[in-house]
Formats: sequence, structure tokens, C-alpha cells
Amino acid sequence: MATANSRRSRTFGQLRWPAATLHRILLLLAMGYLLAPFCWMVLTAVLPAEDLSRPNPRVDLGAISLSSFGELLTDPSFLKPMGNSAIIALATMVLCVALGAPAAYALSRFRIRGRDTVLLGLLATQMVPVIALAVPLFMLMRGLGLLDTHFGLIATYTAFILPIVIWMLVGFFDEVPGSLERAARIDGCNRIQAMTRIVLPLASSGIAAAAIFAFITAWSDFFLALVLTSDAASTLPVRVAQFQSLFALDYRAAATAGVITTLPVLLLALVFQRWIIRGLTEGAVKG
Amino acid sequence: MTSSTTTPPPKAAAPQSGSTKGRSPRSPQERSNERFAWSLVLPAVVVVALFFLFPVGYAGWLSLTDAQQLRPDATSFVGVENYGTLLTDPQFLAALGRTAYFTAITVVVGVGIALGLAILLTQEFRGRTVARVLLLVPWAVPPVVNGIMWKYIFDPSWGVANAILRGLGIIDENIAWLGTGELALNAIILAEVWKLLPFVTLILIAAMQSIPKSRYKAAAIDGAHAWSRFRHITLPGIRYALLFGLITQTMWSIKVFDSIYVLTQGGPARGTTTLNYFGYLQTFSYLDVGYGAAAAFLVMLLVFGLTMLYVRVLRRTEKVEA
Repeated sequence: MATANSRRSRTFGQLRWPAATLHRILLLLAMGYLLAPFCWMVLTAVLPAEDLSRPNPRVDLGAISLSSFGELLTDPSFLKPMGNSAIIALATMVLCVALGAPAAYALSRFRIRGRDTVLLGLLATQMVPVIALAVPLFMLMRGLGLLDTHFGLIATYTAFILPIVIWMLVGFFDEVPGSLERAARIDGCNRIQAMTRIVLPLASSGIAAAAIFAFITAWSDFFLALVLTSDAASTLPVRVAQFQSLFALDYRAAATAGVITTLPVLLLALVFQRWIIRGLTEGAVKG
Repeated sequence: MTSSTTTPPPKAAAPQSGSTKGRSPRSPQERSNERFAWSLVLPAVVVVALFFLFPVGYAGWLSLTDAQQLRPDATSFVGVENYGTLLTDPQFLAALGRTAYFTAITVVVGVGIALGLAILLTQEFRGRTVARVLLLVPWAVPPVVNGIMWKYIFDPSWGVANAILRGLGIIDENIAWLGTGELALNAIILAEVWKLLPFVTLILIAAMQSIPKSRYKAAAIDGAHAWSRFRHITLPGIRYALLFGLITQTMWSIKVFDSIYVLTQGGPARGTTTLNYFGYLQTFSYLDVGYGAAAAFLVMLLVFGLTMLYVRVLRRTEKVEA
């Protein structure tokens, strides 16, 4: 048994005992750590508050009820920010792709003067703490009459998310061989057709990843919405945060609001996990 | 699964500009390409300039004034006075210390656990795909929701953290996790590490998968042990991804806001007021806009400086190995 052959299979095949057992234990611990907090929030949302608000929480799966979801989803003070969040995140996503895809295409395909400056400048935006921009943005939006409007928040999110979207897309466009466009140009396509008919379709999964990333980032933002909206355009994360400012925190309602806010992101993440993982890791591995 | 993404993409060749490397002289064709390219880039640049760069410049100017929210018309230029005051302000220095602690622990613990997770998840086992998908759960939880979630996990009376520790016999009395500054700061670290783990882990997994299997094969034939394979093959192979993880974690930790806002509001007794939160309080609680902007600008410089430092370290290790 103890031949070079078995040693090799240990490295490349399945792990063997005792490594396999150790691996399984560690994996269970790790998955428990990753999933337990979220699962606990879900349980808090569906179990009776009196079962959990006691020194030793009682988890009785028979007592599960979705009544707290029904309450929140019929509450106008919750539905309005939810609708706002959906409109703002979707519009931000569309704008980010509409502005980001052409820009990333140009930066990927043409060695224009100032290309590196633009790319580095976009990266540098990620170092700016949003706190620093709160007051200037507030004044800018007040000056433009965009305070507490959907468009004000959409424009701000687009400006904040666009740099990352462009970086992601440049990476995806770089992977589409330039020879395809050259062939298309020879076949009579003009520059815009070469871009829209050849490169954009080939990079569509990358564009989808960037779009989902933009949606999730806009949907999850709290601080900018806190500063730039008050009521008419207020978003879901701001509403969720209001649960904790109450003196007696209603954990069940707060957890329900938390689950509802997480759900769209989680569904997108699970359904499009391949693209999202690709989008997230693209910049890191490329250099 | 993601191996195709991890191969470095070929450097984009400019399809129409030929192979002339020099910048001049430019042909009419090149100039036309340049105009076309810029017309595609410009709309994005304009949006970022108007709603991002302009506010940055404005914030820079505010940091040089004594602007107050309560008397916006009586603002006067004070030069670098705010920065001077900050560097002798004991509250600012305390916040700086907390940020250093918060960032160091979050980055070391976060990247450490992520490395372990990445190793676990790159082994071959049944259910690996499912495990990697479930990894996305903490990433999907919005930061504010993450704060709320941990707030009731850490609840002093009926939080599940206390219930578990009591059940295991580790504690007798409930602990007020958010009751003292030191404890609360560590509680927030725990919440942040949880949220940030998936991102770094995914990056490390992608990097590990991009290492050619043949290297491990050769090492195994040479009889290299697991540790030495990790040390001499895995670690050099994921060096760049590791550095990227360190940079993003550092940036994120220094800029953390949402979870502090929800969990402690910077308290108790300012114990969780990090630099970023200090800037927020100056601006929005004490309405001292100029001072708050200066603090936020120092945070930006700190992030910038640390990033440069990381990049230099990376360059140096590359030179040594070349």
C-alpha cells in the first residue's frame, strides 16, 4: 500500500482517514459559523417572540408562523421604502451598465492617452470614506433640488458604483479576443457595430455579473440614503435601522425586516452565483 | 468551476492601432480612434466627476474652513488649523488607536480564517459546490441588517450568544456584550469578520485553483509534506490574492460605519468611536462640518498610505523572487 502510487492519490483524490475526518469536522464547524447567525435571524422572524425572549430560548418548529411577514408587507411605512429601494437599485443598475459598458470597452480596446490615469483614478475613488462626502453631497443635492428624490440617490449611487463596474468590465472585455472585432471590421461592421454585435454579446455574462453587483450595492447602501433622503425617497436599509433606535427593540419585527431586505440579494447571489463569484474575483486575480 | 476566470487574461491588443508602441507620431486613424474611445469614456467620467470628484474637492475645501452647520454663512478659511487641532485632540487620537486595533484584529483574524476556509473548500469532497454557494450567505446580508442581526445575538438578557455560552458552562452570569467599550469593539469585530469572510475566501479559492496541479504532482513525487507544499507552492501562488484581500479588508475596516451605527452608535463612553465614526459625529452630532471633513480626509490619507505600503511590499517580494 505504501507506494508512491498511494501517496499520489492522497494528494489528488479524496482525502483519506484521518485527514478526511478532520476535514469533515472543520467543514461542519465552518459552515455552522457561516450559516448560524443568519439562520437565527430567520428563526427570530418566524418564531413567537415569547419563545425567544427568555433566558433559554425555546425553538419549537411547530410554532413557526409567517404572520410577522404579513404584518410588515401590509404596512405602508414599510412598503414605501421597499418600493423606493427597488426603483433606485434597478435604475442604478441600468445606468451603471449603460455608462460603464461603453467606457470599459474603450478602456479595454484602445490605448488612448490618459487611459492609465482614468483607470487609476477610478480605483482611487474606492479609498474615499463616504463620510467625507456626506456634507458636500447634501449641499450639491440641495442646490440641484434633488434632496430626498429618487433621482438624487440614483445619480449618487451611479457615481459611486460606476468605478468598480468599469474595473470589472475592463477585465471581462480583455478576455474577448481582439481578432473577432478585426474580422467583423473587415466584413464591413463599423466600430459601433463591432462593439455592440460582437464584443458586448460575448461579454454578456460579465456584464450580468457587473449589473447584479451594482444592484446589490445600491440595494444594500445605508449611509448615503440616511443623509440624502428623509421620507419621500427613503430606502429599506434606513427603515431597518429605525427598528434599533426604538427603546424597546421589537426583535421579531426587526428580524423580519432584516430577512426581507436580505432576501433579494440572497436570491440573486444563489441564482447567479457563478457570475457573481467570477465578478468578485476577477479584479483580484488579474492584478 | 471557476478555473477559467483565474488565468490572467491576455493584455488587450488595440485592434486598430497597429503595433506602433511610441506615442507619436499619430496617424489620422489613431486620432480618430482616440476620439471614438473618449466619446465612450466621457459620459461615465462626467457622472463620476460631478457626483464624486466634485464632492471630494468640496470636502477638501471644507476641511480648511471653520464651517458649522448652524451658521453656514459665517464660514471662513482657516488653513490647516483643523488638521493641527485634530493631531492634538485626545478624542481623535483615541479614535485613531481604536481604528488601529479594530483594523489589525479584523484583518488578521479575517484573512486567517478565510485562508483556512479556502483550504477546506479547495479539497475534493462531496457537496463542495453546495458549500461554496452557501459561502455567499454572509456576503449577501446588507451591512445594516448584519448590525441588527448581531444586536440581538449580543442582547444582554436573552441574546443567543449568552444562552450558548451558559449552555456550554463557560459562563454563569450573562455578559453585557455591548455594555463596555472594549467588549463592544470586539463584538463589532466579530460581526464584521463574519460579513467579510466570503469575499476574501472566494478570492483565495480562485487563486488556489489557478495554481497548476502539476506543481503539486511534482512536489508529491519528491515526497514533500503537506506543510511544505503549502509553504512553497500554495503560498507563493496566492500571494497576490492574499495581498488584495489584505488591502480590501483594511479599507473596509477603516471605513466601517453601518454596524457601529446600529450596534452601539459609537458608545458606550465612545468605546466604539473609530476614526470614521468620529468624523460622522463631528459633522452630524456636533455639526462641526470643517472639523469633521478634516477628520474624514485624514481617514482617506490613511487608507491611501496603507494601500501604497502594501503595493510596495508586494513589488519588493516580486523583485526578490525574480
